[in-house]
Amino acid sequence: MLANVFLKTLHDQRRSLPAWIIAVALLVATYVALWPSIKGQPSMNEFLAQMPEAFRSLFATSGADMSTPVGYIQIELMSFMAPIVVLIYTIGAGSGAVAGEEDRHTMEMLLANPVGRTAVVLEKFAAMVVGSALIAVFTGASLVLEGALADMSLPAGNVAAAMVHLCLLGLVFGSLALALSAWTGRTGISKGVPAAAAIVGYIVNGLAPLVDWLKPSQKISPFYQYIGHDPLRAGLSWGSIGIAAATVAVLVGAAVVGFRRRDVGA
Amino acid sequence: MAEEVPVRLEGLTKRFGGTTALDGVSLSIGAGEVFGYLGPNGAGKTTTIRLLMGMLRPTAGRAQVFGLDGWDRAVEVHRLVGYVPGEPVLYDRLTGHQHVRYFSRLRGRDDAARAAALAGRLELDLARPAKALSRGNRQKLAVVLALMSEPRLLILDEPTSGLDPLVQQVFQTLLREHTGRGGTVLFSSHVLGEVQRVADRIGVVRRGRLIAVERLQELSAKSLHRVRATFTDDVSAADFGGIAGVRDLAVNDHTLTCSAPQTSLDALLKRVSSRSVDDFECAEAELEETFLTYYGTGADHAG
Repeated sequence: MLANVFLKTLHDQRRSLPAWIIAVALLVATYVALWPSIKGQPSMNEFLAQMPEAFRSLFATSGADMSTPVGYIQIELMSFMAPIVVLIYTIGAGSGAVAGEEDRHTMEMLLANPVGRTAVVLEKFAAMVVGSALIAVFTGASLVLEGALADMSLPAGNVAAAMVHLCLLGLVFGSLALALSAWTGRTGISKGVPAAAAIVGYIVNGLAPLVDWLKPSQKISPFYQYIGHDPLRAGLSWGSIGIAAATVAVLVGAAVVGFRRRDVGA
Repeated sequence: MAEEVPVRLEGLTKRFGGTTALDGVSLSIGAGEVFGYLGPNGAGKTTTIRLLMGMLRPTAGRAQVFGLDGWDRAVEVHRLVGYVPGEPVLYDRLTGHQHVRYFSRLRGRDDAARAAALAGRLELDLARPAKALSRGNRQKLAVVLALMSEPRLLILDEPTSGLDPLVQQVFQTLLREHTGRGGTVLFSSHVLGEVQRVADRIGVVRRGRLIAVERLQELSAKSLHRVRATFTDDVSAADFGGIAGVRDLAVNDHTLTCSAPQTSLDALLKRVSSRSVDDFECAEAELEETFLTYYGTGADHAG
């Protein structure tokens, strides 16, 4: 497990990553357990209809029908909780990748080995990809398997598609954290800025349909790429995948450039 | 054609914002040499070393290891260098064995056997996680990690500061074995006593400038002797004036005290013996004291 920086990074997460996975499985189980008491309640949709439109748009992804499994999971899990879990993981991984090692002063010992700075950034990014993919895979598997137990059948293909988009959403903000951590070497800034950017992106995507001046910016929100096309019903959107992947590529490239040109741990 | 000087600094300068941490340092260290890099804390020793290791980018000048630029070709440089940083910080949760495995795999090697032998000689338990190690033991682990790949150059930033005297002896033996194989050492310290037993040459850095480079042997020749002579009759300071190199001359009642380098002893003794001597003492001062006399107390004369 300690053959290179990539495996060492995963080795460091050998307790935290399983904890994340168990947490999402339990989170999904909670929603699944509530499903039988919600599906027979048409009043839930009335309740949603009575919410101020801004609230509904922000927290419930407008247009979802609470009385169907897809609509229920869309509103309860995909629009808010799942992104939070994945973002906390990826932003933590991205900021820890470079700035975390510098804060703990281990970067100097690591870089004293014949390992290039580019390799350090790319291998740590690869570990973040594996980690967020694992979280997404286990979230999707929990939805399909636990859902089947509670008579809440979800289309496996579309769940998989939604998880691809969820993983990419995490990687966009995780790469932003990685880029900031590589340029500045500071964990505070490389956690705080992506978290703030995620909140702004979330609000822009949620409120754009209601606020005229936000409308033009909705499509640049990573949350729009994530959920704007309604992946649980529509499946993959290659356009959104392309935009998210390109964003990640640019940010990782920026991380490499930033880390290569600066003094370490001065 | 290939330049094989283990360490070459040319006009090496590093500024952090407005402060100049290192100012035009030029120096070469030859193969098989142990170079003691001395200076008070904050003088620029660590900055020099971190420039050589490619952690910092020079503001001006160059730092080269075996002809390779420390910044542009850091990966190739690191293949040839074993490094002990000033405050070695290891991965808290990894054991010594895990550090050995990780760092030797990063070098594409398997150094487990050599690391175990080194740890045995330093009496270090590799099975314990780094966070359970004392400062001295962390220092030992950093030394094991630096030496295990048998690098051609060792760069050690105050490597013995946390080690007890017995371990320092083992450490010095390890350094001699390293130079015996043709290896080179750059060794920083703020205490002369720490390097004088192993160093061939000493460089002194002060406020970012290299103010002196001397062979240790030459420094020893300059080493001061404390002379104290008591005469049966009154003497005056003027009787002993004008001898080159004599310092701190004082006459108190019948007694003369002064410091003199080896080269002035003959002249001084002739003056002393021309009078009637009651008692005479001559003792060589610690090298440290000699050193401070020439370079100490903020003197920037050589800079």
